[in-house]
Amino acid sequence: MRGLARGGLPWLAPGIAFLALIDLFPLGYALAISLYSWWLVRPSEIRLVGLANYASLLRDAVLRHDTMVSAAFMIGAVSIELVAGMALAVFFAQRTRVFAAVRPVILLPLFITPVVSATMWRLMFHPDLGIVNYYLRRIGIGGPAWLSDPTLAMTAVILLDTWRAIPFMFLVLHAGIVSLPHELFEAAMVDGATKWHSFRHVTLPLLRYIIVVAVLIRAMDAFREFDIFYIVTSGGPGNATETIQMLNYRIFGYGRVGLASSLSTLTLVLVAIISLALLRSMGREGAA
Amino acid sequence: MNGRIGAAVMVLGLVLGGVTTVSPLGAAPGETISFAMLAGYKEDVLRANIGSFEQQTGIKVAIDASPYNDLYQKTLLSLSTSARRYDVMFMDEPWVPGLSSFLLPLGDVIKGIDLADFVPTTLASGRYKGKQYAMPVDPNVQVFIYRKDLFQQHNLGVPDTWDDVLRDAQTLNDPAKEMAGVVTTAGSDQQTGLYMLLLIWSYGGDVLGPDGRSVADSPAARKGASVYVQLLKYAPLGVQSYSFADVNKAVQLGKAAMAIQWASGARPMEDKAHSLVAGKLGYAVMPRGDQRTPMRGVWTIGIAQTTQHQEAAAKFVQWITGREFGRAAALYPATSSAIHSPRFSVLRDPKIAEALPYAPALLDNLKIARERARVPQWPDIQEQLRLYGAKVSTGAPLGETLAQLKASINDVMNK
Repeated sequence: MRGLARGGLPWLAPGIAFLALIDLFPLGYALAISLYSWWLVRPSEIRLVGLANYASLLRDAVLRHDTMVSAAFMIGAVSIELVAGMALAVFFAQRTRVFAAVRPVILLPLFITPVVSATMWRLMFHPDLGIVNYYLRRIGIGGPAWLSDPTLAMTAVILLDTWRAIPFMFLVLHAGIVSLPHELFEAAMVDGATKWHSFRHVTLPLLRYIIVVAVLIRAMDAFREFDIFYIVTSGGPGNATETIQMLNYRIFGYGRVGLASSLSTLTLVLVAIISLALLRSMGREGAA
Repeated sequence: MNGRIGAAVMVLGLVLGGVTTVSPLGAAPGETISFAMLAGYKEDVLRANIGSFEQQTGIKVAIDASPYNDLYQKTLLSLSTSARRYDVMFMDEPWVPGLSSFLLPLGDVIKGIDLADFVPTTLASGRYKGKQYAMPVDPNVQVFIYRKDLFQQHNLGVPDTWDDVLRDAQTLNDPAKEMAGVVTTAGSDQQTGLYMLLLIWSYGGDVLGPDGRSVADSPAARKGASVYVQLLKYAPLGVQSYSFADVNKAVQLGKAAMAIQWASGARPMEDKAHSLVAGKLGYAVMPRGDQRTPMRGVWTIGIAQTTQHQEAAAKFVQWITGREFGRAAALYPATSSAIHSPRFSVLRDPKIAEALPYAPALLDNLKIARERARVPQWPDIQEQLRLYGAKVSTGAPLGETLAQLKASINDVMNK
């Protein structure tokens, strides 16, 4: 430590200063603004209100509803992405030639701009003009009004998100699986382990930290998801799919800067709590 | 040395001064003004015609176009902070009261304009507390649209009341043939709240009382909202996700017998290349409950108080509210929307009337149009209307939802 202070610190200082500038300054500024009543329409009436913005948000039933929507989406989408990503990763880990051939197709959703893919899916789910209902009708099933039913609308958005994010999950887990030492699997096979046993008792424990990182990244992203909800459902029907980010966009959009900053800070705290809970639960599993 | 530089500067100044032309509109050529504009069709119309203004004046217009919500955000941020990004802004009329403290009163700018040529209700859209802060460019109003051919087949007259609309919608509604009785917006969209408000007004209710307290759960408001919900019984499958464009799609594909839509949506409905029902539509004044209350929605133009290009901005306002742009915009090919002119002389022009079969209905509705409450908090209130209107459209209990709307509006007004 003393050595770092003497020799290393001057070298690290520019990096630390840069990080402080781009990370801590905006965060501190947002925190400071969150303590003010600041409506852009009346800039002469800015006043310090302390924690009043936070108190008002915590009393707000709409925020509670929107937080639940964000959490439900996060759990639904990330669970499917993890299972599907893992299945694909295990499948292609043993079939390298097939993987090489289909890799571009699997990765394609990653390269499409979210706004474009969301618009495309919105059209696909259109009750009259959408391709989903067209094929459902062709096989004799009356296509539902996907985006007019609260459960179906959430299902549609989760489907879109999984389509977009499974390639990410797959890539991370696939990289982890192919880097595992072969000897362990050979030893398990010699001991008479089935493929399932190898997966359950060798692959999963060794991949634990990679899974934690992948789930953590996706969970944070999913909880803060905005663009696909905005385009596909606009928070509807009613407010059934309105997320915490859409609420923040609305509040900021109408110039309530102080209130919007408070909500951003609350979101940050919620994401931190979710991340810590996830890390701890994975840690406990590892210890067990 | 200094003398030589001074002489060179003088010569250069004389040369540049000599070649500078005086524009017909008398503005300073070479100036550039920045203009915050709504993205999409209206932007296309402006871009197609802006050359005429730039040629006449020598003033360049830098257009920054954004979608509806972003336009308000960017305009508000630009005006209320030191950003001062825009000289001139295209504003939806409910924004004017809130932004008025940042806008230049247009008293001098409009001195030379023939105000008698403007539909009076459109001029009111840019006025706040007795001062004209913005001028109307594109007047919009809700109109009632119906299929003339279907009404003739069923021997139906043009609906006069909402009860007539409900009765006719029931008659014409035929889901098996993919024909809805009536279509309007019911998704999580601003228009949903505005159509519910149209019905609430029509039965004598409102969402905001004269004392600034909400009256959204009054018996009249409840009656209007319940009629809105009844109309949705005869709407297409999935109407709870419908926005402005979806209403147009339903009409243009011949899947709705009646529609409540902004007049700007009517133009593409008459485009033979993109509408199966072009020429088959009738346009009427909005039906009544206790009264007729079509809602006015005028796009206006205002100048930032902080602009360094006041004269050029004024010239631009004069041009865009003028007859020349009004005629060109009204005749511009329709795709997804329209721009109308606020001027009688343009709306009554035979050539315009030919291009816009709904022009008489537009004018009739505009003359009796009702305005939304002129309070700075209206954009916030409209957002609450969107939220709770969309909940009403999905079948949420009416009394409870309107009580929530009332509480949230009171919250907004007290902030």
